[in-house]
Amino acid sequence: MLRTVALAGRATRSLPRATRSLASQAAPAQPQPPAEPKTEGSVATTFGEKSDVPAAVEPQHVVTADVVSGAPKQLRHRVVRIYKPTPTTMQSGGSRNPGWRIDWDTAVGGGRWENPLMGWASSADYMQGTRMSFSTKEDAMRFADKQGWDYYVQAEGVQRIPPKNYAENYVYKPNTLRIARTK
Amino acid sequence: MLRLSSSSSRRLLNAASSVVRTVESRGFATTGARRADITLTVDGKEVTVPQGSALIQACEAAGASIPRFCYHDRLAIAGNCRMCLVEVQRSPKPVASCAMPAMPGSVVFTNTPLVHEAREGVMEFLLANHPLDCPICDQGGECDLQDQSMRYGSDRTRFHEIAGKRAVEDKNLGPLVKTSMNRCIQCTRCVRFANEVAGVEDLGTSGRGNDMQIGMYVEKTLASELSGNIVDLCPVGALTSKPYAFHARPWELKKTESVDVLDAVGSNIRVDSRGVQVMRVQPRVNDDVNEEWISDKTRYAYDGLRFQRLTVPLIRQGDRFVSATWEDALNAVAQGLQASGAKGDEIKAVAGALADTESLVALKDFINRLGSDNLTTDQPRGDEPPVHGVDIRSNYLFNSTIPALDKADAILLVGTNPRHEAAVLNSRIRRNWLNTQMEVGLIGEQIDAIYRYDHIGTDLKAVDQFVAGKGAFAEKFKAAKNPLIIVGSAVAEHADGAAVFKALSTFVQKNKDRLLTPEWNGFSVLQREASRTAAYDIGFVPSTKSKGVKAKFVYLLNADNITPDSIPENAFVVYQGHHGDAGAELADVCLPGAAYTEKGSTWVNTEGRAQHGRAAVPPPGASREDWKIIRAVSEVAGVTLPYDSILTLRDRMWEIAPSTVKYDETEPTTLDISAAGLASMAGLSAGKASGVPFRKPITNFYQTDPISRASVTMAQCTRSFVDQANIADDAKLAAAQTA
Ligand code: SF4
Ligand code: FES
Repeated sequence: MLRTVALAGRATRSLPRATRSLASQAAPAQPQPPAEPKTEGSVATTFGEKSDVPAAVEPQHVVTADVVSGAPKQLRHRVVRIYKPTPTTMQSGGSRNPGWRIDWDTAVGGGRWENPLMGWASSADYMQGTRMSFSTKEDAMRFADKQGWDYYVQAEGVQRIPPKNYAENYVYKPNTLRIARTK
Repeated sequence: MLRLSSSSSRRLLNAASSVVRTVESRGFATTGARRADITLTVDGKEVTVPQGSALIQACEAAGASIPRFCYHDRLAIAGNCRMCLVEVQRSPKPVASCAMPAMPGSVVFTNTPLVHEAREGVMEFLLANHPLDCPICDQGGECDLQDQSMRYGSDRTRFHEIAGKRAVEDKNLGPLVKTSMNRCIQCTRCVRFANEVAGVEDLGTSGRGNDMQIGMYVEKTLASELSGNIVDLCPVGALTSKPYAFHARPWELKKTESVDVLDAVGSNIRVDSRGVQVMRVQPRVNDDVNEEWISDKTRYAYDGLRFQRLTVPLIRQGDRFVSATWEDALNAVAQGLQASGAKGDEIKAVAGALADTESLVALKDFINRLGSDNLTTDQPRGDEPPVHGVDIRSNYLFNSTIPALDKADAILLVGTNPRHEAAVLNSRIRRNWLNTQMEVGLIGEQIDAIYRYDHIGTDLKAVDQFVAGKGAFAEKFKAAKNPLIIVGSAVAEHADGAAVFKALSTFVQKNKDRLLTPEWNGFSVLQREASRTAAYDIGFVPSTKSKGVKAKFVYLLNADNITPDSIPENAFVVYQGHHGDAGAELADVCLPGAAYTEKGSTWVNTEGRAQHGRAAVPPPGASREDWKIIRAVSEVAGVTLPYDSILTLRDRMWEIAPSTVKYDETEPTTLDISAAGLASMAGLSAGKASGVPFRKPITNFYQTDPISRASVTMAQCTRSFVDQANIADDAKLAAAQTA
């Protein structure tokens, strides 16, 4: 994953006001022309042919939906996250586990605050309650592409469950006994 | 592998996505062992699983979901709830699929009238004694029994016992786990967890049939730093979380996936919040790091995020703090810097345990721009360059990686107590110790471990002895195929640290064929602070020149283990952090930062795995993300840092330490470089041996950082687990003295 940061930097096309530094009087960064990745270009090309993004999403030709959808411009400046929520550890059933999800990072500042009148949480962020589910990662990525959103994809957590066997409880172990299995 | 992409860089993304490791889901192809595969039919679907799998695993692999209470993927099989009954062709009765091995060629049905009827029968028995208190039960909404009774529960009762339902006395398991034993269905998951994973072998069952009870038999608390996990395991509401009792329902919570920072394991967590409050912390499954467990500190210290917070900038006036605006506070810092007259290395920065990587990078750049190299870490001897050096990563990383702990067949612990420094990692050592013939040796203060170990000695002499191959454990270590040396982070802080590293790395060099091969790196350093690896990665260490310089301006970044005498008199002190703790007390100006649940930031764990923590709730009051504060300070100090957004800052991180932004990956050090690192340590000049024994760096597991020190729950744990133990120890000591 040599490209991670190269990508990170490229997502800075235009900076949201919210991420400007606290006391900075500096002008927001100028939109930067997409530069070539800083890292070895060869890496990108090596993997280039074998993409798991469907070919239909030829990036250059997507007309992003917000041209006509009327979605607020600011949405463009927020990086969305694509991830697969972890199965809950409280339950063993699997049907509650959604597929892939898009959601927005908590906005610092306008994210949430306690309403002094009712004690409820108020928010200036219209995306804080929104999340979208997709059956595959590619669907989510395509959707984000179509909306013109910057996104990052977080890898799923790894699970490795070895084959298990009831008979393991009674397997003979040489040397001193380390555990009494029947309780 | 966290990837960032912009819509204008999709081509790159195409390229990138193919390297995304096809991450294994709950699959069987991922089991490491090469076993023969067998094929059977489940609901008319052919499925192939490794030999030795349980039938329930085969059914799952075929996509059939099997209800269960007692079977758990990470515990031994008990087979006592009978909820997982399935029909197997030519078997006279339904069989419990968890206790039945999958047989080649068998034909299994999971969804027939017979199966339904059998499961309904089991359910009826379970519910006969289960109280109907779902509305007041904390498990409600995430209860296996509740869910499964929707499907298999009968709609009317046949229960007409005059004596009423079974009643069981509640057990007191301590301040973390609340029990309501009437609800227990005797699945024994908690018993198995305590015995296998946590190493509390006193939890068990007593009585039988209707009178069976879960407990310790005598009144006793569950003294384990992993005890919170039994709350997750319990399929019903018998074990619930005490601090969370009656606070929220699962469907009200916003779930944010993040990483834990209270030790250096980097456990994957899910922060559940409501409004602006963190309501609880749950583990997230990642078999590369924490599997499914988290330690009690990780899980329960969250209430510390509500207390003792710095919410506004503070400026010291005389002997009290007055709140100020950000503008005033920043100007006060700039003026303080000027008035102190600090030049060069007299400007000192101290990075504490809870500093995120972004702010470390920003602070280092800021201090360097002011012309100073005096970058210290908040630990004993943190103001000298670390003995192991930071030029080669393998000198301070947990090189073997955490999953490899399952493969080791001899482990030597030097100056560390993994139980308190990395509780989740410690459970892997126990598992390996239980399942194999693995042997553990310890050099250092005796510990209350959850495995038996050979105690070799307490000081440098023992290391020398071991290296010379003397002693029983050294013999065992010699015979091991995958030997592993785990050096604690406290060793580098010890007066004999250099000598220990020298001796051990020479030993590794000599035994290269077993300790340093392409498959196995047997020399690991176990860090105990979340920020330490990142600090070393980016070179946040003092130069030899800066050592001993009397600082006139001190910038404390989350430094809360600091002692007042380490700060020269008349120095101007800035504290940046989220809690009013030891560091803030010493400050002239306090700048309120965000805690780990309130900022999106990077954390590098002891293996060198960079992970992305996410903001779950906004920072309280006027506090801000830490790197932004440093960026702002740099501007008023006249040395503006060149990054305006977190993305450009991450570009900077990429420039100085690419590994800190390659998320969710560990990058193994190549053999040659590891060897070079060992050579550099072997060449250390070890002074005269001080003979001081190695001490455990953590005496109270429950209170190690400002968050857990502010937490009421952790204070209660200290009282019931640590102080009790101390009282018992004192009593023993007194008895020994009078005898
Ligand atoms: S307390 Fe919970 S986990 Fe333990 S045996 Fe009872 S139901 Fe199972
Ligand atoms: S899950 Fe099979 S008997 Fe409990």
